[in-house]
Amino acid sequence: MPLASILAALLGSILFLFLVAPIAQLVATAGGEGAARLVTDAELRQALALTAATATAATLLGVLGGTPIAYLVERWHFRGRAVVAALLDLPLLIPHPVAGIALLLVLGRESAVGGAALDLGLRIVGSPAGIVAAMLFVSAPLYISGARESFARVDRRYEAVARTLGDPRWRVFRRVTLPLSGRGLVAAAVVMWARAVSEFGAIVVITYNPKTVSVLSYDRFTSFGLHEALPVAAILALLALLPLTALRALRYERRPELDVGGGRA
Amino acid sequence: MIEARGLSARVGAFRLENITFTVPKGAYGVVIGPAGSGKTTLLETIAGITPQTGGTLSLDGRPALDLPPEQRGLGLVYQHGYLFPHLSVERNIAYGAPDAAGARDVATRLGAWALRERAVESLSGGERQLVALARALARRPSILLLDEPFSALDPRRRDTTRRELRRIHREWGMTVLQVTHDFTEAGLLGDVAILLDAGRVLQSGKPEEVFRKPASPYVAEFLGAENVFAGTARILPDSAPDWFAGDSPAGLGSHAVEFRTGSLTIYAVANAAESPGYAVIRAEEVLLSLEPQASSARNHFRGRITEISTLGALTRVTLDVNGSPLVAALTTRSAQELALAVGGEAYASFKAMAVHLC
Repeated sequence: MPLASILAALLGSILFLFLVAPIAQLVATAGGEGAARLVTDAELRQALALTAATATAATLLGVLGGTPIAYLVERWHFRGRAVVAALLDLPLLIPHPVAGIALLLVLGRESAVGGAALDLGLRIVGSPAGIVAAMLFVSAPLYISGARESFARVDRRYEAVARTLGDPRWRVFRRVTLPLSGRGLVAAAVVMWARAVSEFGAIVVITYNPKTVSVLSYDRFTSFGLHEALPVAAILALLALLPLTALRALRYERRPELDVGGGRA
Repeated sequence: MIEARGLSARVGAFRLENITFTVPKGAYGVVIGPAGSGKTTLLETIAGITPQTGGTLSLDGRPALDLPPEQRGLGLVYQHGYLFPHLSVERNIAYGAPDAAGARDVATRLGAWALRERAVESLSGGERQLVALARALARRPSILLLDEPFSALDPRRRDTTRRELRRIHREWGMTVLQVTHDFTEAGLLGDVAILLDAGRVLQSGKPEEVFRKPASPYVAEFLGAENVFAGTARILPDSAPDWFAGDSPAGLGSHAVEFRTGSLTIYAVANAAESPGYAVIRAEEVLLSLEPQASSARNHFRGRITEISTLGALTRVTLDVNGSPLVAALTTRSAQELALAVGGEAYASFKAMAVHLC
């Protein structure tokens, strides 16, 4: 075997271990105790329920708003399309506590939106709504990016044929585009959910209480030390592994044949 | 009816420009052109998939510019079928059909109904084409756009499908525009042929006219005419051509023409208003014999055989006539009967009417 191959395999293996070992160690060390704490630790149960609920709400909002945006950016060649696409990626590029601070500016009590929401009886900062907002802000770009990729994989000629068969644009989307990109959209939603579950930086700025699992794990670490933080961290890791496993199952399932070729003649 | 006047469209860097042609209502049009000439883009522009950037397009008398694809009353069949992979074959066929019985009927006629229980993924390329054709026809379009729809069918199936489609076309009075690179298919099917190259129409008209009277040497060579000679033409006095009568006159305004190319003198019939620079003779029009033949044909040459190439039932023989190559096409059986051999002598003859000057 050439030296370059040996070196590449060695470096790859080290990185693989570096990525997997901490999580494996965490789950192996504290997974059992974390599971036991689910019975005895009411605060952990509440944090878990809150995390799952807010992540699900954020994902639903992301899917509802992100699907049309992704379709529009992918399919419509309007002026400024590249700029819109770049702007959509912005939340992924800024540090998450900065995202939280930015959200605080827009949704805080002193802001127009936050003030109006308060007038309607909806408190955003320091409430589950704030958690949903933080999760949505940091994870929706991942969904939009995945959804765009899914739409891009659907050959436009399926849509062209459907239109000549009598369907207007929206019905083509429902009858052809959506079914053909559905698997990719679900996968993108799963990634968004997992990302929302594991968010900490933006949430901790906008809503420290009630606590999500990530905030609770940080809180236990700073208040009681590593030993108390470990079971909570292990539960959070397991929660994140759940959608990832589902995602892998979706990816490896057989896909319908989408691209059958055919050049533009 | 499909009527394009100065139609243009753009896809990326590719431009379709100044496309003008008419396919009358109920006629069968064929678009011929090399790969990359814009054939598919033309169909997609007519279908409203690719936006029209200039000119006018009218479909069955209605201006099409502002009509979305679903309101143009046409069907589009791509070469690769583009069957919806998430639907069964049966649901593909019924996708846009106004009534299930009609869809079933047309699918049965094309032999696609027997495939209804198969998964789309399990279909061969040819089967996909049949189902795609049935799907488009099930909607009963008044205009059908076909992009090489028979290319993946085996020869027997291609023949039967072609005939059935022709029958349906006549019965329904449908206007068809089909893209093909197969000249035989163009000749067999077409009432109108449109020759496309680099996004422009080179020539359009009746297929036999396009094939026999190409507008330029480029068109002639593209259409596979082997004998294209550059030279000068001289009109012979109207009163003189004693050979004219034997060649069934082309009508008023036509003259006997003497065309000189290298050491060859070719006699032809042409319109006096033209000043042709090329003579085109299709190889099929050139008759070969081992002895001089007495016939009404005006052009007779003796030459030496330099090449014989056989492809199935057809043989092409190249003669060297005083330094100019002349190609004749004849059946392989005739070539065998004549016992032609490279280096041997042969006589070639063709009618003045078989010479197209352009």
